[in-house]
Amino acid sequence: MVALARKTLLHEWRRFLPAMLAVGFAGLLQLLQAALVLGIFGSASVYITGSNGDLWVGYPGTQSVNLGRAIDPNIQARLLMDPAVTRVEPFIWLDADWRGATDTGGESVFVSGIDPRPDGLLFARALSPTLRARLYEPDAVIVDRADIDKLGVAIGGTAAINGHTVRVVGVSSGLRALGGVNVLSSLATARELDTDPGDNGQPTYLVAGLRDPAQAGAVARRLRGDGAFGPYQVWTAQAFARRSVLYWMFDTGAGAGVLFLAGIVFLVGAVITSQTLVAAVAGSMREYATLNALGVGVGALRWVVLEQALWVGALGLAGATVLGAALLALAREQDVPVVLNLPVTLACVVLALGLAAVSGLAAIRSLRRTDPASLLR
Amino acid sequence: MNAPTATLPALRAEAIAKAFASGATRTQVLDGLSLSIHAGELTLISGPSGCGKSTLLAILSGLQPVDAGRVFALGTELSGLDGAALEHFRLQHTGFVFQGFNLFPALTALEQVELPLDYLGLSRRQAREQAERSLEEVGLSHRMKLKPAELSGGEKQRVAIARALAKQPQLLFADEPTSALDASNGQMIIDILHRIAHDHGTTVLCVSHDPRLIGHADRVLAMEDGRILSDRRLSPPHALHGVGP
Repeated sequence: MVALARKTLLHEWRRFLPAMLAVGFAGLLQLLQAALVLGIFGSASVYITGSNGDLWVGYPGTQSVNLGRAIDPNIQARLLMDPAVTRVEPFIWLDADWRGATDTGGESVFVSGIDPRPDGLLFARALSPTLRARLYEPDAVIVDRADIDKLGVAIGGTAAINGHTVRVVGVSSGLRALGGVNVLSSLATARELDTDPGDNGQPTYLVAGLRDPAQAGAVARRLRGDGAFGPYQVWTAQAFARRSVLYWMFDTGAGAGVLFLAGIVFLVGAVITSQTLVAAVAGSMREYATLNALGVGVGALRWVVLEQALWVGALGLAGATVLGAALLALAREQDVPVVLNLPVTLACVVLALGLAAVSGLAAIRSLRRTDPASLLR
Repeated sequence: MNAPTATLPALRAEAIAKAFASGATRTQVLDGLSLSIHAGELTLISGPSGCGKSTLLAILSGLQPVDAGRVFALGTELSGLDGAALEHFRLQHTGFVFQGFNLFPALTALEQVELPLDYLGLSRRQAREQAERSLEEVGLSHRMKLKPAELSGGEKQRVAIARALAKQPQLLFADEPTSALDASNGQMIIDILHRIAHDHGTTVLCVSHDPRLIGHADRVLAMEDGRILSDRRLSPPHALHGVGP
């Protein structure tokens, strides 16, 4: 079979270039947008995804990890009664006001009080054992390296949280927060910083490690509904992380904005691509009409156009992949929160190929004007 | 006696009529025209532009339906076929050569000729061999790997003829095949069309107002205002080459 679609594409690549660029850029925009959304809203759950806990226990109905309320510390005993639970760590999360040494005004910070022991569950994936050991020092805090300028402080410098002096003992990476700045401290320091008399030093969450993490779902179900120790709810780490991200994505309106933008990108890409393909088909109309005169069916000619559209999509995507990989690497280097996973990448690829196919179908409509009798006049 | 006139004609039109509407005006191009075209001959329809000769070609080749009357090609009534059946009929039986060569810029001469053969369901090797034979026949075996941009006008038209010929059609239609060519190239195309009719027994119907063609046709139909003014046979009817009724 003569590869008419492919050979025409190669020979007249200039004619198809705008379509390839349109598909490529549409794909790239969707991909980067998805990576940013996952990265930014993913940071809402950094407390969970940066830690090793299998179960999170918090106040009933908590919609996102940053909206927790203090729970009874005695629930820890209830959790430890379950044979599947090997250890439980308290986690204190509180809103606070930061005043840097230089004149940066007030800054809203989220203090995470954790157990600094080397094998602690919380932030096990974000902090090295030596770094977390520095939190044993009273009033010691760790911040993200991307936030250090904003906080107006250097390593070793001091600042005030809720009027209490703290000292920055180190910086980490990948701990940027949504709508504020994450500050890590020991549980003891966090209790010092908590000015809410109602909290009374109680933890916001209890985080449990399990003997077999694969059993997390079953254990969480088993631990629910026991009110003897006061109100609490149990989520698996995965479920609680997803709950937090979805809250930010959809209950804040940001997700709707992103979806709207994705729709616009798709529409603009489809318009440009289909117009280019229509023009390319129109340019070969006499040749297609001749083939039709020779008895090659319109259906077969449609396949040629659709094949061309899919090649345009594939080539555009190939370009987008190269450029996208470079841009994502640059973003990571600049501490821009970007995250990409396989399902989302595949969804973007399917979307871009769908865009090319839709444009191809639009171009196919113009084949209806292929009337071989018109060649005789 | 086995006179060719007694055999069934390859193409037959019975009282065909065709009109085109352009806005409010309606132009009757053909009105009650009847004619028969025989196999193994190069038949030329000539006449001034607008006389209806291209419309007649489009109708006889199954590219356009008639308003009234009946058209038979190789014994099949074309006026009774739907679009898909007409496409199939054309694929099996007809070749076309147009004034513009209509070659795909991206394909080599060999690929241009091979392309329609692919849709006939031939194997890759068969299609390749048949295309090569066809290009040899028009004297282009040494130019097979070239793309249209590297070929002269005459060569392009010969590729177009090879493309039409490769399917080994019983009917070959040519519309002004020489009008874009100089004298020597035009002559060569005429000779090829003539040879196809005589060697393959193909029914070659050619529409042209090129006076150079007239001397080479077996039969010349002069048309004006949708009617046939004269029907001259320039050479005695040929014995048909194995193409029976």
